Amino acid sequence: MEIKSLSQPTFMAQVRALFAIARKDWKQYWRYPLNAVSTVFQPVIWLAPVYFMGKAFSVNGQALGFAQYSGTSDFMSFIILGAVLGNFINAVFWGMGYALKNDMDSGVMESNWLTPIPRLLILIGHSLTNLIVTTVTSLGMLLVCGLIFGFHPTGDVWSAVLAILPMLIGLYGFGFAFAGVVLLVREANTMVDMSAFLVQIFSGTDFPVTVLPKWLLPIALILPLTYGIDAARGLLLKTDTLLSIEAEVILLIIFMFVMLWFGSWIFYRIERRVRTLGTLGQH
Amino acid sequence: MAIQSTTFTRSLARPNFLSALRALWAVMKREWMIFVRYPSWVISLFIWPIIFPLSYVLTARALSGRDGSGMALFQAATGVHDYIGYIAVGTTIWMWQNVVLWNVGFSLRNEQLRGTLESNWLSPTWRFAYLLGSSAPQLLSMLMFLTVSAIEFTLFLGVRFEGSLWLTLLTILVAVPSVYGLGFAFASLVITLKEANAFVFLVRGIVMIFCGITFPISILPDWMRPIANWLPQTYIIHAIRSASLSTEGLPAILGDLQALALFGIFWLTAGYLVFNWMERRARRTGAIGQY
Repeated sequence: MEIKSLSQPTFMAQVRALFAIARKDWKQYWRYPLNAVSTVFQPVIWLAPVYFMGKAFSVNGQALGFAQYSGTSDFMSFIILGAVLGNFINAVFWGMGYALKNDMDSGVMESNWLTPIPRLLILIGHSLTNLIVTTVTSLGMLLVCGLIFGFHPTGDVWSAVLAILPMLIGLYGFGFAFAGVVLLVREANTMVDMSAFLVQIFSGTDFPVTVLPKWLLPIALILPLTYGIDAARGLLLKTDTLLSIEAEVILLIIFMFVMLWFGSWIFYRIERRVRTLGTLGQH
Repeated sequence: MAIQSTTFTRSLARPNFLSALRALWAVMKREWMIFVRYPSWVISLFIWPIIFPLSYVLTARALSGRDGSGMALFQAATGVHDYIGYIAVGTTIWMWQNVVLWNVGFSLRNEQLRGTLESNWLSPTWRFAYLLGSSAPQLLSMLMFLTVSAIEFTLFLGVRFEGSLWLTLLTILVAVPSVYGLGFAFASLVITLKEANAFVFLVRGIVMIFCGITFPISILPDWMRPIANWLPQTYIIHAIRSASLSTEGLPAILGDLQALALFGIFWLTAGYLVFNWMERRARRTGAIGQY
């Protein structure tokens, strides 16, 4: 009889572990349904000042000035789509950033770390639930904001979804690195809050990046998220894009592979560091 | 001959006015030390005043268009010419209220989480001193924040403060009781509710939607305008905009100041009454010691 050592888990064992982590996170999230309700309705609050401000710039609900920058006068559809994608940015910074820190605070970090599964798998498990939960809440948000403020896509929905998939995967790859950084820094609220906000500003979730002053524009142009959001708008709302859609999708695919590798590498480097420092078990 | 001496002893259970002041000072000192112990506040102090309004300013710039045609519509609809200063002031007041809700609102809860609330509660100290003491350093840090904001708006956003510094300071002074009274009421409710993040989001959301942080109240639909009139932040934002950005002087903000004075009395009273209610309820239910 062949005996498999527990220290050499099989592929199926790793898959089972992955789904166990994802299932745990899923149950934990929906245990507090108010959080989900808050995630769906919070954007309504954040978008309301923009909506009313936009009304003052519009004639019959059409912002002609806005169309000069973006190619569409439907500024609320433009901003709602940015808010939906911005939701994923927030989910990665806060959700993934604190994924391991939360395990640490719950006191389960060390025991999880001692299990014979790749440690990155723990993060992948967290990412899986985070991605699914954020998709569900983002769809809810899109529905609610669409009903209140109006959302009028004129393009192909499935092309837009396919275009942003590599962006989302790359974003979660970045999330691996960020989770490692938060593990190292431990008290990271200010860093996470500010970083998430700045990334959203510079990637154009709230306005076309061409509005930025010329000296700030390069920051927006080196962020791959800028192209993902731009491509989604171009496909769904037929807005003017920075590059051709094909070029932007290629950039996003490159970003996906680079970030998955880079995020994992950073994570492993930091994980080794915190094990050396002995801070893994520290609160 | 026997010498008679009389010793007056004051029971520790009967603190006087001076002892309440000493307790207040002790709490203020402690809160200030905790605040400066974590230097990340320095980053927040300089970064947030500029990046938070920037998002709305750039959105407004996008809405105005490359030729500024949208801006002409905005000015015609609102009478506002300096939209950047307009947005900067509105969003700064929102940030002020937001920070008070989180800091003052969670001050007692944070003590509870640290495990020091029960022992403090058992001391013969005027209990409201804990809230007042938490607010004073917070107010000082907010004054620093407002000063830095004004400097950064001038340097980076080109805002021109053509109004009166004294009128602006007067408005802030009159606004303080409303802003912090709401914080006191909130702090008391948070002790009872424990997890109150959703309520912070709700209250600051109401300010964001109804108080005209980026738009004049006249833009709101008819059914929303009366709600705005019942929120002190509406008057704070209007008054500070007028006092700091225009030369209309005191007559333009007198109505706002009067409303704020009344709101201040109401919210300070409400904050104190809610605190007393919470304190009685907590002693009855044992909530003070509950995590």
